[in-house]
Amino acid sequence: MKKISRLGHEARLGWTLVAPALSVIALIAIFPLGWTFWESLHLHELRMPWLGKPFVGLANYAEIAKDPRFWAALGHTAFFTVVSISLELVIGLFLALAMNRVFRGRGFVRAAVLVPWAIPTVVAALLWRFIFESQGGIANALLVDAGILKQPMVWFIQTSTAWVPVILSDVWKTTPFVALLLLAGLQNIDLTLYEAAAVDGANAWWQLRHITLPLLKPAILVTLIFRTLDGFRVFDLIYVLTGGGPGTSTEPVALYTFNALLQNLRFGYGSALSVVIFAITFGLAIFYVRGLGVRLGGEE
Amino acid sequence: MAQRGDDLVLSSIALRIASLLVVGEGVLCGAVSSHARRWGALARPNGGLLLRVPLRGRRASFPVWYLVKVGQPAALVLAGLLAACARTSNPNETVLTFSGSALGAEGTLVAKQLQRFMQLNPGVRVELQRTPDDASQRHQLYVQWLNARVGNPSILQLDVVWTPEFAAAGWVLPLDKYGPPRAEFFPATITANTWAGKLYALPWFADVGLLYRRTDLVPNEPKTLEEMVKSAQTAMVRRGGPRYGIVWQGARYEGLITGFVEYLGAFGGRIIDDKGEVVVNRPEAVRALEFMRDELYGTHVAPLDVLTWHEEEARFAFQNGNAAFMRNWPYPVAAMSDTGQSKVAGKFAVSPMPASGTAPNGHSTAALGGAQLAINAYTEHPDAAYKLIAYLTAPEQMLERAQAVGQYPTRPALYDDARLRGAVAIPLDNARRAIESATPRPVTPIYTELSEILQIELHRALVRQAEPREALNSAAARINALIERTGMRKLMSGGAESTPSSTSPTASSTVGHGE
Repeated sequence: MKKISRLGHEARLGWTLVAPALSVIALIAIFPLGWTFWESLHLHELRMPWLGKPFVGLANYAEIAKDPRFWAALGHTAFFTVVSISLELVIGLFLALAMNRVFRGRGFVRAAVLVPWAIPTVVAALLWRFIFESQGGIANALLVDAGILKQPMVWFIQTSTAWVPVILSDVWKTTPFVALLLLAGLQNIDLTLYEAAAVDGANAWWQLRHITLPLLKPAILVTLIFRTLDGFRVFDLIYVLTGGGPGTSTEPVALYTFNALLQNLRFGYGSALSVVIFAITFGLAIFYVRGLGVRLGGEE
Repeated sequence: MAQRGDDLVLSSIALRIASLLVVGEGVLCGAVSSHARRWGALARPNGGLLLRVPLRGRRASFPVWYLVKVGQPAALVLAGLLAACARTSNPNETVLTFSGSALGAEGTLVAKQLQRFMQLNPGVRVELQRTPDDASQRHQLYVQWLNARVGNPSILQLDVVWTPEFAAAGWVLPLDKYGPPRAEFFPATITANTWAGKLYALPWFADVGLLYRRTDLVPNEPKTLEEMVKSAQTAMVRRGGPRYGIVWQGARYEGLITGFVEYLGAFGGRIIDDKGEVVVNRPEAVRALEFMRDELYGTHVAPLDVLTWHEEEARFAFQNGNAAFMRNWPYPVAAMSDTGQSKVAGKFAVSPMPASGTAPNGHSTAALGGAQLAINAYTEHPDAAYKLIAYLTAPEQMLERAQAVGQYPTRPALYDDARLRGAVAIPLDNARRAIESATPRPVTPIYTELSEILQIELHRALVRQAEPREALNSAAARINALIERTGMRKLMSGGAESTPSSTSPTASSTVGHGE
């Protein structure tokens, strides 16, 4: 180790070198966040200039806490996140295991699997909307032909059935991404472990449970972080598919925020909602990193 | 061994967290989501508001449409900046900017009329400032500009439900001092543009809710709502009859309110009464909503699909011969009269929506839509701006507009003019009757939020998440809370006299004085 003064000098140099990067982060991330927070402490309705822009402290947050629509939206978001991520993880793991095998045309299959993920969310959502939309839609036709439904149904007017296209489309679209992340994890597992296990007489199930899954844990946790944060901010998919309906029974917090902020132009209240979403997702990220010990790279 | 993968993951997590911070931020979040919103507009052309016409052509070729839609706002901002820079020329010249579409027949018509206006008024130059045809996009732009006190466009094109909002905010000037010819317009169109006793905009053209019926199935215009339902049932059980009795717009959007307003009037109900009381949970309103719900679940004349439908879906159903009745605006007439694409060409007629035969105070009611012209409060040339508004809303220009783009004049006198007969597709007395029975949606600065509350509660009742009475009680409670929160109580209870005359843009509270 060097002398302390030298360290100080190096530290100063280091800070100088990262200063441009830090100032960019401050400009694009911290400054707007601070501004949003400041805005959230005011009553500011763009449509009602006569109300002025008085400082109201935490009144907007109090309104959020009392707002049943917010709590319902939070529930919808959590429901959507948990259900879709569980499905994506399970199916993604199967896909990853399949793609990890050596077979002819593997490169093609890997590329093909990614197609849904490459489609812009709004386009994907529109596709699924057309599939489920009318009584003559493909989904109804298939289910009636297969004898599962007696007659065509209108999916988007009941809460339970309105979730089906929402979750299906998210799973369809995002599973490839999950599979790819898991595949990267799988490729990092040393093949000699499997050879050794096979020599010791371990069957495939045992290998999966005791070699693959434990060694895949970091990749799974990373996937979870990505997907939970994405899930919590879900907006475009639901906006296009159900618009939050029927009523507001599939409305996620991001859509509610959008409504308050950009439809009703309630900047104060909408900013408070943004801050709440930020706090929740940030809390989740911290929980994953600290609580579950996801390694953010490098050795401890 | 896992090092490389981890590095990748590390950097993408860092990126993700950075973007999370950004997205948590309000305004940027807005930019992202309003982008998504434009996409959403593809699936749901804005209903009940304005100008569906130009949107229709573009829906077919969707990538191009998308480019246009997304490119538009950017281009607008750029164009605004460029125009601002270029606008330094002749100091003696009065320069006005007119907000409108530069596309298609509408663009040609506007350009022609502006050109004529300039010839008649030397020394005034009018520039066309392109603004989106989609009403809610235009609204968002206007509100942003006016919050920044931008004087352009000097003439704003307002949807029928925006005038009170813009008036109360002090963003548009009252027209009374110019002596506008109020009496020459349909009364409903004047009411919709009046706030606190003053007229803030002149109606440019009218849009009105109509009942379409298949004349081969239902030869006579139904006199009551009950008769309409009966005819629909009869038509449905006929051999080869249509699948649906009546189709309307029941998705959770503005179009649902326009339909509800018509049923509400048919039963003699209102959303807000003349005293400013919220009366949307009165028995008449509950019966109106129950009637709509019975069409879905009782008499089954309306398919459950309508609960996800906008104007276009209803038009497709009717145009393909699948419905006996349809509630819609006048715009589908042209397409449905075209034998090339329509199965009902020559086999349909329109009439105003009937009243209920069981409600003593019920009256035939049509929802009112359309565009208004108002003066931007921040413009430097309000007098010249009024001149242009007066010119564009003069009978000759209205007739020309009807002939060029089929939009309905707001002057009843024109309906006696033979030249109008060829221009609009509907028999003139039917059109006039419908507009005369038109009712503005609640005339209040807080309309948009009020409408959102109603949309949600009505939809909840129609999808049977709530009983009509319960849903309307909840709507009334929430609307009352909204009125309290925004300080609208006094103004909405007919406080016309208590409103200050000042609409100066610098007065921070043009309305607040009334409190």
